[in-house]
Amino acid sequence: MSVIYFIFQQTMYFMIPLMIVALGAMFSERSGIINIALEGIMTMGAFTGILFLNLTGKSMSGQLQLIMAILISMGTGMIFSLFHAYASINMKSNQVISGTALNMFAPAFAVFVARVIQGVQQVPFNNTFRITSVPVLGSIPFIGPLLFQNAYITTYVGILIFVLSAVVLYRTRFGLRLRACGEHPQAADSAGINVYRMQYAGVLISGALGGLGGLVFVVPTSTNFNADVAGYGFLALAVLIFGQWKPVNIMLCSLFFGLMKAVASSYSGIPFLSALGIPSYFYKMVPYIITLIVLIFTSRNSQAPKAEGIPYDKGQR
Amino acid sequence: MKPKQIKDHTGILSSIFAIILGLIVGLIILFLCNPEQALPGFATILSGAFTHGAKGVGQVFYYATPIILTGLSVGFAFKTGLFNIGTPGQFIIGGFGAVYVGILWTSLGPAHWIVALAASVILGALWGLVPGILKAYYNVNEVIASIMMNYIGMYLVNWITKSYKPLFNNLRNESKNVANTANIPKMGLDKIFPGSSVNGGIIIAILVVILIWVILNKTTFGYELKAVGFNRDASKYAGINEKKSIILSMVIAGAIAGLAGGLLFLAGTGKHIEIKDVLPSEGFTGISVALLGLNNPIGVLFSGIFIAYLTAGGFYLQLFEFSTEIIDIIVAVIIYFSAFALMVKIIMSKFVGQKNGKTDETGKGGTKS
Amino acid sequence: MPFDSPVSKDLVSYGIFFLLYNFINRVPGPIDRYRSKGDFMDYIIEMLHITKEFPGIIANDDITLQLKKGEIHALLGENGAGKSTLMSVLFGLYQPEKGSIRVRGNEEKITGPLDANALGIGMVHQHFKLVENFTVLQNIVLGMETTRRGFLKMDDARKKVMELSEKYKLFVDPDALISDITVGMQQRVEILKMLYRDNEIMIFDEPTAVLTPQEIDELMQIMRDLVKEGKSILFITHKLNEIKAVADRCSVLRRGKYIGTVDVADTTREEMSEMMVGRKVNLTISKKSSEPGEVVLEVKDLSVKAKREGQTKKLVHDVSFQVRRGEIVCIAGIDGNGQTELIHAITGISDPSSGTVTINGEDMTKKSIRYKNTHGLSHIPEDRHKHGLVLEYNLAYNLVLQQYFDKEFQSGTFLKNDHIYDYAQKLIENYDIRSSEGAFTTTRSMSGGNQQKAIVAREISKSPDILLAVQPTRGLDVGAIEYIHNQLVKQRDAGAAILLVSLELDEVMNLSDRILVIFEGEIVADLDPENITVQELGLYMSGAKKEGGTL
Repeated sequence: MSVIYFIFQQTMYFMIPLMIVALGAMFSERSGIINIALEGIMTMGAFTGILFLNLTGKSMSGQLQLIMAILISMGTGMIFSLFHAYASINMKSNQVISGTALNMFAPAFAVFVARVIQGVQQVPFNNTFRITSVPVLGSIPFIGPLLFQNAYITTYVGILIFVLSAVVLYRTRFGLRLRACGEHPQAADSAGINVYRMQYAGVLISGALGGLGGLVFVVPTSTNFNADVAGYGFLALAVLIFGQWKPVNIMLCSLFFGLMKAVASSYSGIPFLSALGIPSYFYKMVPYIITLIVLIFTSRNSQAPKAEGIPYDKGQR
Repeated sequence: MKPKQIKDHTGILSSIFAIILGLIVGLIILFLCNPEQALPGFATILSGAFTHGAKGVGQVFYYATPIILTGLSVGFAFKTGLFNIGTPGQFIIGGFGAVYVGILWTSLGPAHWIVALAASVILGALWGLVPGILKAYYNVNEVIASIMMNYIGMYLVNWITKSYKPLFNNLRNESKNVANTANIPKMGLDKIFPGSSVNGGIIIAILVVILIWVILNKTTFGYELKAVGFNRDASKYAGINEKKSIILSMVIAGAIAGLAGGLLFLAGTGKHIEIKDVLPSEGFTGISVALLGLNNPIGVLFSGIFIAYLTAGGFYLQLFEFSTEIIDIIVAVIIYFSAFALMVKIIMSKFVGQKNGKTDETGKGGTKS
Repeated sequence: MPFDSPVSKDLVSYGIFFLLYNFINRVPGPIDRYRSKGDFMDYIIEMLHITKEFPGIIANDDITLQLKKGEIHALLGENGAGKSTLMSVLFGLYQPEKGSIRVRGNEEKITGPLDANALGIGMVHQHFKLVENFTVLQNIVLGMETTRRGFLKMDDARKKVMELSEKYKLFVDPDALISDITVGMQQRVEILKMLYRDNEIMIFDEPTAVLTPQEIDELMQIMRDLVKEGKSILFITHKLNEIKAVADRCSVLRRGKYIGTVDVADTTREEMSEMMVGRKVNLTISKKSSEPGEVVLEVKDLSVKAKREGQTKKLVHDVSFQVRRGEIVCIAGIDGNGQTELIHAITGISDPSSGTVTINGEDMTKKSIRYKNTHGLSHIPEDRHKHGLVLEYNLAYNLVLQQYFDKEFQSGTFLKNDHIYDYAQKLIENYDIRSSEGAFTTTRSMSGGNQQKAIVAREISKSPDILLAVQPTRGLDVGAIEYIHNQLVKQRDAGAAILLVSLELDEVMNLSDRILVIFEGEIVADLDPENITVQELGLYMSGAKKEGGTL
């Protein structure tokens, strides 16, 4: 039983950042802008957040410090995504190229600045945020150990983001207009909606959530940050496509991928799995292989926003 | 009377514009970190290679070899309408093939290195085949598919290298040395550039560039590949087998990137496959090279040499307490600005349009639609 | 005369009266302004001396357009004359370089659709601005949603929409997805969008292009009803019959310039056409009667199934017909009744699920597209940008698109560029294809008419046995249309078999020797154009009438 709790808790660590970033990507793509720069945004968000934790490690600790780090990561993510937004919306550049440029920039920047500030490229931090057990809720049988033990506040933040995303996208005026921009920007424009502003909003949201996702990715699973988010940004894109741009599907898909990742990193602690003798590399590859297979089945009738990736040009008729 | 073909130079201008902006941003970052050393550091980046004579030039060619080819891979794919972001995966798989043959098939004598390179080409082609088939038959976006293949390739190579004893150097967590006969011969280049690591690989790279240029511009095969890249529907209408073309494009792109890997690991400079979960940077640098070179094979050749030149200069930066990542930053910024090419084109055409006056659509017997 | 004589008193009062009268009329004063406003009150919209430029072209050159309150005013011109641009300026999508707009007498600056809506101006575009996977209701309220603290509240909106729908007899299902409803209903949604925003001035851009004859009549009636309720309508068209049917006045544009405004009742179609084109136009084509020879194309029991899973409906349903040498057979029907799928099945762009296609006696159903293209088939495709041309290639490369693999143009696998360019030059001269750099021109920069000429040149110069021409004159100006029609007739007379697909009823009636009407994937009639009227054709096309026989 404790194995199941353990796996589930581990799954949360991998699932939540993936889901947060994928939901951010959803907002961007639903507005019509492909955001391949998520890997870089996660890196920048993680870097600034972890750096903050590192620098304030002596004077601060606990949830307050984490909350401040969260705000910093989100802010960094938003600012960094502005570059992508500007290039894609104002300059009408190829969105894949500008995204790739940001992905190349981020780790180089992180390493460079880390070296300048502290000499080495790894940024260590103290993890004082693990909640061993939430008062009251942690003692509920079965659900308690699953969701309320060995958790972080970021877990709950992530779940909240999921709920908010679904509501905002489908039940608010903003969501309706955003979706219109991604499907048929000319229709939105002639209805008086400022398409550019909507797209900026979409990209900035993906920046904020991407930055947050980066931080959330690092904190539970290691004690330092080494300018790498292990391809999570790209995996989040895969989750987005797998989830057909819908929040609930994204959540389920993140759960599945998170589970695979959790098993890959901790299978040695699980008796029956380690007895199988399958090396960790296999588990590491599984999410990617599964993504490929799923893509085969979903790409035919893709529910991608119809106008995504096409720079909206008022002058074109 | 045949009208003359007017050439369009806006592309080159936008690349130069991007390069200048990238360098300026790099300079600014250097300044922000260490004002006194910024200028001399910057100067080193720009001139480092030359200050070390023939050896320096040789080193530039050595660095350039793999990225010219990964750039060619990306550029070729772009020309045929595909974004091959899978060069890291194809590169490492190709490199693996070369290393495998290099370590284990030692009885081939003088043909050893040729067979090893062939292995890298074949494996790279295989790695390009998968996204190609997925795109042609299942409409899977090749960007995502290639990214997945990058990670699958990386993990696969790490896995096999680590677990297959004859390949694995336990002490240093990397692959063993390849046999001497597997290394690419120097082909006389060590005489021209003594002391540097350059070898026949650069010649091979240049030959492949020329081959691709010929294919793209002079053959019906290239005509078909480009047509499919520009307009898949019209190609089908014209009777071209567009599925075959897409697959072949990705296979060729993969093969070139695989060859790049082979050339790196067989260069005789002690490069080994390290068992780290990190994608080889030469793969992504290829994207920068291709974009700067405007996806044109000759352009890729020059931009590959240019970026290698910056990298070589950056190597000497370490004397100045700057880390070499500044080069990656500069290159990333250059790519970012190169994406603005469309804007430059629009500005340029506004200039040109005003010079030539309004074109007289009415005199042409047609309408605007 | 002394002032107090009776005659002089009258004269003086007349004189004073005369002077006062002139004074009131000459000097602009408050009284004058009132009088002028009285004139302008008739004009609810005035576009004065509007000039709109794009890089390289003056789309609107000093155009003045005045719309009276309560009238239906047609804006007539060929494709590319600048009509859509002018209306986009009125709707705020573009800003003019020069000129001004007055609404209800006041000068206004319209910077966007919101401004236009605030002034009561609405527009139904030629290509509908509807989000496909939203519902009808969502599309109507988009941009004007009723909300409470940001959350959508649709109940009030729904009520208002249903009320409007009842009042104007525009029947729609508010919860249907746009992708699931007919084009006619989509247009009604667009009209409801305008009514929902209380638009009084309604602009219709080529509204009848996608409608059946019956739906066109319905639309004309809707327009008359709208005007009865006090709306004013501007409608853009190039179809003279419709102007005659419903418009009060008509303004004509030609190549960006304003030609004049006429009262429709007093002007003949020929006169309007001459204003539109600038010269006398033959509204009918002269061709001698056809003498059909042997059968070239035979289609037997051809069926095409729908591609989406779960749909068992056949898009093309057991279609059979023949086309002989020396005749033009036209497949007429409303867009979306299977014509596209039928042509794609014949050419091989998609696969039929059953049936056969025989050309010159050889069964080619399963042969490759290239085989068909090299064994007698030529195809002028429906969408010249999608299928007909590789726009990024230059003109020469496009002209050899169907033949680059011939021994004439390649040796080994190497292209013989000299031969290619020589061949291209020949075609350019023979078919009068105009472009900025001749054979080297990037095709994308050529005008639509010349692009189409290039395709026609390419396909005809293959001397095909069977030529498929799908909407060959769509979007072209009268000159290009005449040219292409003449080419088609020439080919027919030279012995080719021509299968024409067209949505333009005039073209169908004028050009074809035989008409096959397609409805919901089946051939429902085989008609002789000499013996039927357009109205009857329309009835067949909309499925209201069905003939027993097919060949």
